[in-house]
Amino acid sequence: MAVALRVVSERELAEDLVHDAFVVVWQKIDRFDATRGSLRSWILTIVRNRAIDRLRATKPRIEIGDADDRSLLQTSSNPTWDEAVERLGVLQLRTAVERLPAEQREAIELAYFGGRTYREIATITGVSQGTANGRLRLALAKLRAALGGTDAAPNGLVAERANLPGTER
Amino acid sequence: MTDDLSCEHADELGAAFVLGALGADESRAVEDHLATCDQAHAELRAMLGADHVLAMSLEPTAPSAALRDRLMVTIARTPQEPSTRIKAAAPAMDLQERHGWLDWLSPRVSRPLAVAAVVAALAFGALNVSLQSQLAQQDRALRAVADAISVGGVAFRVNGSAGRGYVVDTPGSGAALVVAGLTNLPADRIYELWLIDASGKPVAVGTFTPSGSAVAVAAVDRDLTGFVTFAVTVERQRVSAPTSTPVMVGNLKAS
Repeated sequence: MAVALRVVSERELAEDLVHDAFVVVWQKIDRFDATRGSLRSWILTIVRNRAIDRLRATKPRIEIGDADDRSLLQTSSNPTWDEAVERLGVLQLRTAVERLPAEQREAIELAYFGGRTYREIATITGVSQGTANGRLRLALAKLRAALGGTDAAPNGLVAERANLPGTER
Repeated sequence: MTDDLSCEHADELGAAFVLGALGADESRAVEDHLATCDQAHAELRAMLGADHVLAMSLEPTAPSAALRDRLMVTIARTPQEPSTRIKAAAPAMDLQERHGWLDWLSPRVSRPLAVAAVVAALAFGALNVSLQSQLAQQDRALRAVADAISVGGVAFRVNGSAGRGYVVDTPGSGAALVVAGLTNLPADRIYELWLIDASGKPVAVGTFTPSGSAVAVAAVDRDLTGFVTFAVTVERQRVSAPTSTPVMVGNLKAS
């Protein structure tokens, strides 16, 4: 519910999206594959994709395809993230996100809650596409480290920093 | 655009892929690359699932009662896709193999029952179960589970020191106990379910061990017909007659 509301900003519309998403879950539960991630993750993906598609319907956008089929095709999740969600509360998760550098947090929020591609994020924030993409990579790497996963710097970003003005740590 | 995506390019696009920040062609190319490439792609795979941390970092927003009611009505009227993977021999077993979130679904619970419980519990609290522990919210969640499961059937309230919930009976799917706030047990103890007839004779109808999750669902092995009371006791092993005082009891004559 919170994800839908964050994306579309209207409670009535958000409830419609949640309703429709759960009906999809009801209809397609047999297609859920637990080896690809938790049921919660799958449902969140359905809700988010439907909300983004609704958001896009009001704007000139690239064609993305059916939201539910994208949800079903989702590649297996790394258990680190689900374990962090199980272990930590909302406040700790939010703190980890808020502690990201502002430009990195902005980039991932534009992507996940705003449904923007990294190319669009580059345009919106006035940086190169490489920098916008680099911000997404750095943000997720830092988030993973903050939540207890391995602190592995994204490969290639050092080189990108050297080559792409505006790519930051 | 990127049918022949290189490993390096796939890694570079990993975060954008995870966050849904790729166009359809690029996203499909990354998905296809991961499905077919024999390289580890450790960084990219480590990112998969990160988007859900963003979702779960939001303050939970409770759905309205109107949404709950509307969803229950829709679900009752909406057929499910025919099952293609799991048959009755071990329903819902594969749903339990990872992460433990569905541990509360007993592997012996029939699939329709399990599905109804999943949908209803998810809709009304289980997604944020660690945050919505107030009894009123749990009760609403349980009532919704019972409502969903008992479409065309019956739900009976059960209460006791170990927890509270419902025994639900769905034609064609059998009966089940759905309970919240269940007390965890020592490793050498189990919960045993009983049906008791008018003469007071108990019949053992199943056992289960709580997983620590907020909602537990356990199958009842017998039809409720002819019984007047449902009870749960704590035992060391499955027994044919209770050895302890019930920790939950429900009257099967009251709806």
